[in-house]
Amino acid sequence: MNRSRTWRAVAVILALSLAAAGCGRDDDDSGDSDDSSTDDTSASSASFIDPAEDCEDYQPTQGISGDTITVGTVRPAQGPYAIYDTVTKGVEKFFDAANAKGGVKAGDGKSYQIKLLKEDDGYDPGRTPDAVKKLVEQDQVFAMVGQIGTENNLSVRTYINDKCVPSVALATGSPEWGKAAEYPWFIGGLPSYAAEARVALEFLEKDNPDATIALLYQNDDFGKSYQAAIEKYIEDTGSQMSVVAQQPYDPNSGQTTEGVTTQLAQSGADVFFVGIGGTPCPRTLTFIPADWQPTVYVSITCSGKIALSLAGGKDEGIYSTQAQLDAASPADQANPKVQQFIQDGQAQGLTMTDIEGGIVSAGWGFASIFARALELSPTVERADIMNTLYSMQDENFGLMRDEMSVNTNDAEDPWLFEQLRMVHREGGQWVQASELVEFDGESNEFVGG
Amino acid sequence: MTDIATPTVEPMTSGSRGFDSQRALRVAPVVVILVLCIVLPLMLSEFWVDRITGWIPLAIAALGLNLLTGYNGQISVGHGALYGLGAYTSAILVGDQGWPLFLAVLGGALVSFAAGVIIGLPALRIRGLYLALVTLSVAVLFPELVRQAEGLTGGTGGYYITEPQVNSRGVVVDRPIRLEAPEWTGLANDQWRFYVFVVIAFACFVLARNLVHSRTGRAMIAIRDNEVAAEVNGVNVARIKVLTFGVGSALAGVGGGLYALWRTQLFPQSFTLLASFYFLVAMVVGGPASIIGPAIGAVFYGFFADVITPELPERVKPATPLILGVLLIVLMRVAPGGVVGLARTTMARFAVARAAPRGADSESAAGEDETASISRSEE
Amino acid sequence: MADFFRYLVIGLGNGAIYAMIGLGLVVIYRATGLLNFSQGEIAMFTTFIVWSFTQAGIPLWASMLLGVVAGFLIGVVLQRVIIQPFGDPHQKPLTLVIVTIGMFLGINAFAQLIWGTDTKALDPLFGNGQFEIFGVGIAWQKVGALAVLAVEVVVFWLIFQRTKIGLAMRSVASNSESSALVGIPVSRVLMIGWGLAASIGAVAGTFTAVDRGVDSNLMILTLIYALAAITLGGFDSLVGAVVGGLIVGIVTEVVPRYVDFLAKVPLAPAFALILIVLLVRPEGLFGTKRVARV
Repeated sequence: MNRSRTWRAVAVILALSLAAAGCGRDDDDSGDSDDSSTDDTSASSASFIDPAEDCEDYQPTQGISGDTITVGTVRPAQGPYAIYDTVTKGVEKFFDAANAKGGVKAGDGKSYQIKLLKEDDGYDPGRTPDAVKKLVEQDQVFAMVGQIGTENNLSVRTYINDKCVPSVALATGSPEWGKAAEYPWFIGGLPSYAAEARVALEFLEKDNPDATIALLYQNDDFGKSYQAAIEKYIEDTGSQMSVVAQQPYDPNSGQTTEGVTTQLAQSGADVFFVGIGGTPCPRTLTFIPADWQPTVYVSITCSGKIALSLAGGKDEGIYSTQAQLDAASPADQANPKVQQFIQDGQAQGLTMTDIEGGIVSAGWGFASIFARALELSPTVERADIMNTLYSMQDENFGLMRDEMSVNTNDAEDPWLFEQLRMVHREGGQWVQASELVEFDGESNEFVGG
Repeated sequence: MTDIATPTVEPMTSGSRGFDSQRALRVAPVVVILVLCIVLPLMLSEFWVDRITGWIPLAIAALGLNLLTGYNGQISVGHGALYGLGAYTSAILVGDQGWPLFLAVLGGALVSFAAGVIIGLPALRIRGLYLALVTLSVAVLFPELVRQAEGLTGGTGGYYITEPQVNSRGVVVDRPIRLEAPEWTGLANDQWRFYVFVVIAFACFVLARNLVHSRTGRAMIAIRDNEVAAEVNGVNVARIKVLTFGVGSALAGVGGGLYALWRTQLFPQSFTLLASFYFLVAMVVGGPASIIGPAIGAVFYGFFADVITPELPERVKPATPLILGVLLIVLMRVAPGGVVGLARTTMARFAVARAAPRGADSESAAGEDETASISRSEE
Repeated sequence: MADFFRYLVIGLGNGAIYAMIGLGLVVIYRATGLLNFSQGEIAMFTTFIVWSFTQAGIPLWASMLLGVVAGFLIGVVLQRVIIQPFGDPHQKPLTLVIVTIGMFLGINAFAQLIWGTDTKALDPLFGNGQFEIFGVGIAWQKVGALAVLAVEVVVFWLIFQRTKIGLAMRSVASNSESSALVGIPVSRVLMIGWGLAASIGAVAGTFTAVDRGVDSNLMILTLIYALAAITLGGFDSLVGAVVGGLIVGIVTEVVPRYVDFLAKVPLAPAFALILIVLLVRPEGLFGTKRVARV
């Protein structure tokens, strides 16, 4: 009897509350959205992104207060992939260095201090949306900069796009970032993995036109991008090269690559393409049996000094690609940009190990992309920043090699970095093996699968 | 199984008494929770409503684990897999098969139920730590199988519950299929989602409560406390154990299905052994062998992860697992019966002090019996 | 055939590592009746200690032995500070499983706080050399791992079977109440059991880290293989841990090489095997059957 009374009470409360809710919540956002329409004029109609068309609730200057721009990033801060936190360290130190010098002088004539807010997703794309939502809705960041991980970034693609938040210099080279027509609020910070594979194969083909290839690929978007791009290259160009053996590797399996490497060695292939990342990548070099002497290519993601220090001295003679200046290379150290990087980095507390390691410098490069976009953009508004990034002409900044230039053109050519040079490992240093290879506007064509 | 639907065994001795303080004390928390559930979404921002919505699937899954481990004494560290199975099944039913959302959750629950029964079968022969290891195998294998069955699950790249739509620029993009508020409610989508989840959760908790208070429930507890004695007393141990595994898994499946609807995207990393650990944590923190315990545990965990952690200074953040670990150990020390256990002992002392003059209050609720028995078995 | 032999050698090398961690689990189970989920993390932590000693210029062998000592102390401290207050582990398996999960989470984060996130390199204990059998190169490191494993088993067998403390441990593990009644210092015995189990983590870690590098992630996944090993071998059997470890090592390395679709799920065949074994012999291959008492 008591029970039924309780029930009735609950039912009444429920009904009442539903009715009350019918009146709707005082939504903070709804007020702002009305303002945004008045700002639409700032984006010219010819621009790639037109907030009036693309956004339901456009907040052009969220995250800017006074002379401070707050940006966010999500990366793993603890757990198995916490090493990527070092990339974020580079992003942070770049902004710190810029702030110490009075900030970034934006296109509107004002100098802005840039504040970076970091969230942790443990490299689990299931947790990335929470972290990003917190940054965008609670902390009200202006943009995301240098966010880590292909799957992690993909998991917030719809959300970021709906919210019209710039997501600049993603720390991933997945070919997915070439889909600017579908998802214009993203721009990658690395060359496309597909383009990297293309450049590597073209180079290797010159050496040995009918080379046989053994491919070790990571069993995710990253590794499969290599796999598909290699297949596509051979198909497109009618190359005489062939993949004679390939094996997937899953870093979550808890195994080393010793077994798969031994298996691939049985093929006796001329080329060993190591399309995996993290610690297993350099360790793979130590598993190559003495009786197999292939030409080894390692992914650009593990070509840094810190990564290769784990190769047990077996990194001699391998090939990789480079897009940036290499602070660990004596040839590049004389470059004024590297000098500046060393000076600014040390002033912000970076050690030479950090600076030469190849991980911090990646983050440094990502941050420089955002800073350059701020400088070039006519106004400090979200759509203008993106439109600026999508219409760059002969830009060279950050740690880009002097002979490089960035050219973009909306969805036609959404990739910032479309030049790579091949490098060869000699005496613990990278030495140039080929001039810069240009593929401006072609990155999307290399994507296989 | 016979009397899931029948009312509970609680004595209906009221009537003569005007106000039953014991009962009030037990009903009060439920009322408070219900009122909070109704009011919170109206007060909180969209961000926070979305966040607390995510605690509900965890609570339901922990409830399922609690039936299995807390009430039936079968330790499982594989509940994350059954949660994941429910999630992926529901997601695929919606995304690929176009099922209505709630039917898909039901489908996920059924598949998890079946899987639970299958895993429960070896449990008839295997007990204690060995059973924990069988369930561990399941926990480890599940994300691996998800990665392997790429065609179905999207593998490492994740499964997105989407449908193609033409966007404002005339380009076809995949849009998530979400649970959206019907027009007549006047609610925002996030609020509607929360209410729907709460209603489903409430149904699950009432179902579990009735089950525990039924004959089957008493048999479950008897098996936990002494399996041989239960068997001697005519309990069909095998049937009850397998059934409990099934029902516990089905609840994990419901939790997983709701998780899928909430997230609209699934990744194998979310269903590793660690997920199973977190269910255990939620269950034990809230109070094993109590109905409301898992809900409290889920709120505790959600509060820790979503409210406290972000407020920590940046320097301390990498240490959050350390803080969680220490908290867990301290809590186990201070309150092995979890929050509910702590509340019950406090209340029992309070009640004994007050009720002593009236003579022994024979209306000792089933809930308190359970505390007594779990503390007996734990001490 | 040479291929098969190569894979077999890799499997044995990995299996030796799984067996070493498995031994730690068995030791702690035999001494205290507990399934310790933090076993791998303790091993990871002591491996960092070994690495720190090598950085101080101490030879790897000596560093490893120092790591063993450090491990023993850590085990003792953990038992005294965390486990002891909970009383008899037999009485509250669930509570203690949760406590070891708490330790698992805590130790991992603690190590990362101290040593950071980047992976450190550790040299192989037996060098990079190898010898040839049937034209297949076999690294001394792998033979060394098996030899060290054999030494560990013998040492633990001697401790359990031939020493007073071992006898006391067996007695405490089977019935701590009556052990206390006959005058065995139960609490001290449990403490030493924890110390022993934790001490061998440094050895296992020193071998594991060669191919994986030292970071806080070192043992999270390796522990799963070790759990598989002892499930297969039997929870309370030293020999079982070794045989189980080697079987798991071989199966997870060899089977995926020949069955293509298993290349992505190397653990699947191992766990399939475990389920079969458990259904036939719930106590594992070498485990002791437990009789239910009323």
